[in-house]
Amino acid sequence: MFRIAIQRGFSCVKNIQSVIIPYYAKIQPAAVTSVRSMSKHSTETDEEFDARYEAYFNRTDIDGWDVRKAMNDLQGMDLVPEPKIMIAALRACRRVNDYALAVRFLEAVKDKCGTRMKEIYPFLLQEVRPTLDELGICTPEEMGYDKPELHLENVYDIH
Amino acid sequence: MNKLHRDISSMAGHLLKVATKHLPSRYVASRIFIPSVAYHKERIGNREVVGFGLNGEPSYIDRTDFPMPAIRFKENSQEIITLREKEKDDWRKLTMDEKKALYRASFCQTFAEMKAPTGEWKSVLAGTLVAMSLTIWIYVWMKKFVYQPMPESFSPERKAAQFQRMIDLRINPIEGLTSNYDYENNRWKD
Repeated sequence: MFRIAIQRGFSCVKNIQSVIIPYYAKIQPAAVTSVRSMSKHSTETDEEFDARYEAYFNRTDIDGWDVRKAMNDLQGMDLVPEPKIMIAALRACRRVNDYALAVRFLEAVKDKCGTRMKEIYPFLLQEVRPTLDELGICTPEEMGYDKPELHLENVYDIH
Repeated sequence: MNKLHRDISSMAGHLLKVATKHLPSRYVASRIFIPSVAYHKERIGNREVVGFGLNGEPSYIDRTDFPMPAIRFKENSQEIITLREKEKDDWRKLTMDEKKALYRASFCQTFAEMKAPTGEWKSVLAGTLVAMSLTIWIYVWMKKFVYQPMPESFSPERKAAQFQRMIDLRINPIEGLTSNYDYENNRWKD
């Protein structure tokens, strides 16, 4: 009995990789959110969300209509877009040949930073700077649009 | 998408024409019943429709929570069309003025202009304070010209007499007024 047990032990040691696997590693990583849930609560992770929007902007056949739709949707969400989403969006603006859209997007993201603008916005600009230089997009600050340039009378104040 | 809009509005206009062909002309007020898309298309003129917008109608609005409106701001004039051709090329070749012109062609106000403080609070505060002081002046006038003089029982001597009467009557002796009065020594407790 002991001999058999020892032989077993040796073969175990040899095949250590196939035998001694922690139980949690045997569970395969879940497939991307194909689980049907009854509530509207999303089970998408942050990375999946980022990847989805990056892939959306990176479509080569995207047109201005879809770019604007995605940007408006992002503006409505409770988040600041990741730099990689921003880079994909700026490249999409380049593909549809719309410079003003790119600057507007930068202004919109800056506005999304809210009260923590001083922490978040410089970081975002730093991440996105290579793309800005490559495509030739000026930031709103460089264009002088961080301060009001023109004045528009409020229609309710016109008597 | 522009083509789709054009097709829909032309189709709708055609259907309207067909539907009203057999009505006597005095019953058709063609300006009133045109479909929504055609109505807007008439009003925006030469502006390019570039997106769905806030509610699907081709209108322009500046909102920080909806940064890309459905139409460009300015109509497509000749300068803007030439700028658009230049925009298809490398953007590094655009001058700052051209970049600004492109932005203003698509958008009316920048975010900074949208969010700029209006200073309205000063006029609101001033108006409130003026109203309050007016109220106080009205009260002064009322006291001087409207109200009767106060009865004599409000004079200081009469009030002192009433107060002494309250002490004599032992008003609220447990926790109130005369609980603080020392009756043995005829004075207030410390």
